[in-house]
Amino acid sequence: MARWKLSRRTFLQTSSGAAAAFAIGAPAVHAQTPVLKTTAWGGKWGEVLKGQVIPAFEKEFKCKVETDSAFPYYPKLQATPKNAPLYDVLHTNTSEQWQAVVEGLVEPKLSAKDIPNLNDVYAYAVSDKICGVSAFTSAIGFGYRTDKGLAEPKSWKDLADPKHAGARGSYIIPVNSLGQMHLMMLGKIYGKGLTDLDAAYKALEQLKPIKMYDFTGGMEKALLSAEVNIGVLHDSGIYRYDGQNQPIAFAAPSEGVLSLEQVWNITPGTKMRELANQYINYILSPDVQKTLCEAVWYSPSNKKVKLGANYDAKLYNTEAKVAQLIQVDWKWYNERKDDIDARVTRILRG
Amino acid sequence: MSRRFDAGHAAYLTLNGAIVAFLLLPIAVVIIFALNPTPYIAFPPVGVTLRWFVKFFTSAEFMNALWLSLRVAMIVVALSTVIGALCALGIARGNLPGTRLLTTLFLSPLMLPAILTGLALFQVFMLAGIGRPVWGLVVGHTLVAVPYVLRTTLAVLQNFDRRVEEAAAMLGAPPARVFFEVTLPLIRPGVIAGGIFAFIVSFDQLPISLFLVIPNGETLPVVLLNYIRYDLDGAIAAASMVSIVLALTAVLLLERIIGLRAYVRL
Repeated sequence: MARWKLSRRTFLQTSSGAAAAFAIGAPAVHAQTPVLKTTAWGGKWGEVLKGQVIPAFEKEFKCKVETDSAFPYYPKLQATPKNAPLYDVLHTNTSEQWQAVVEGLVEPKLSAKDIPNLNDVYAYAVSDKICGVSAFTSAIGFGYRTDKGLAEPKSWKDLADPKHAGARGSYIIPVNSLGQMHLMMLGKIYGKGLTDLDAAYKALEQLKPIKMYDFTGGMEKALLSAEVNIGVLHDSGIYRYDGQNQPIAFAAPSEGVLSLEQVWNITPGTKMRELANQYINYILSPDVQKTLCEAVWYSPSNKKVKLGANYDAKLYNTEAKVAQLIQVDWKWYNERKDDIDARVTRILRG
Repeated sequence: MSRRFDAGHAAYLTLNGAIVAFLLLPIAVVIIFALNPTPYIAFPPVGVTLRWFVKFFTSAEFMNALWLSLRVAMIVVALSTVIGALCALGIARGNLPGTRLLTTLFLSPLMLPAILTGLALFQVFMLAGIGRPVWGLVVGHTLVAVPYVLRTTLAVLQNFDRRVEEAAAMLGAPPARVFFEVTLPLIRPGVIAGGIFAFIVSFDQLPISLFLVIPNGETLPVVLLNYIRYDLDGAIAAASMVSIVLALTAVLLLERIIGLRAYVRL
């Protein structure tokens, strides 16, 4: 009988192989299952999307959905061949979608023939300011402290009130789309319109001293801790603390609220076109819209969604309410972004 | 007899105390945030709670990410210590031409911004049709971990008395035995120190992971960054505490098992 001999080489080969298998784990192979590649936010969004919505979609359409939650998505998509894109469906904010559409990385428009639920969305969700479809939106206005004796802000001009000096907040404009939209809104309020940059720069100068944040999460915490008394924020950033007895509230300025859209779109080179259409149609379906809206306090795009009473009272879910949403021209903004970044950095540094 | 006041010594102690405080203060802030019930950083703390630790340890997303980060870091330690130590030996002993150039080349991943390394690797993988497998993430992390092992091993090799090896060889030990029984034990502190760095570099790696992270599976730093964007609360501090405790445990275990103090002045 041959005796098995353990040499150092055999031992190293076996143990390293076993260690690698243990550490990495053998990937499951589902050769027959179609795979849809998409992006997904983190936080509560990702929790509900990946925990409830996607598993239900996978079950119904007998597929696998691979999500990427590690932004930035746009440069990754840019780095992959157009005929073999990294994603089949791209979910981002509107500004990134416009960057992608200019380079032909996503579709300019989606068709209701392929995605029937597009027939039921509000006009803003597929307007000329949107490529793809805005499936959800939140309204950007002000978050403010209710325990500081402040009157509810009524106008965008209220942010410049001298009593808020050093206790007002906005965003680092080069990196945050809320900050970019606020800059455009300053042009509308103090000048000729959303594209009046000279007026916007002048108004921004008047807001100093102002605390700038990179993420909306940072602004929320700054409000909660009273680091700022008033700040530019979207409604879901306030409503998510509903029922927690926090001294903060959302105020919608009378001039209108900015629309922070969550846009879904399809890459032209996808090999999963039908599944991509089905996925977006699923996201737009009333049940899924209701689930996500009530989880993250975003307003639905589908007119047929029936929200619970508390959500119905606050979110933008009627024709009259969505008429208050102001959409910005991201294509215009992106073309000037470098110059704007340089200018606002100089203003805020000085 | 009363000791005389030594102003120089007092200044020395004060300066050292200030440096230690400067280094440890961020950790103190993390501890306060992690144990404070408020969902934002508040000082003074309003109470003590373990709710953020409960949230962290009961979150499937955090736990999956923690487990993935640990697994990747373990493989990176194994790979980078082998590669880094062999490269160091080759550079120090190989009588190779252009050793300075080689050293610079091996250390170059540290000179490039990691985000560029991540993007470059991502593009290579995509163009080669490889996609984003776990081993791609391991390769990316190993690339930036190897220079640490190389550097620490080279430092040990510089003070290495080669006569010990020559004596072993003269006494009849074959080269392999000389390596495993003489060379390896003597360079072990450098390799181990490099391995610790490699673990930390991999476990905390963000820029490279952003590009190479596998679909449906993010490493802990990526998940934490996403979390900060949307749900900044004490769970982040709890996760940071877990990372700190893990790193401390690794160092203390190594000290207990192999006696780091004998090699490295801690």
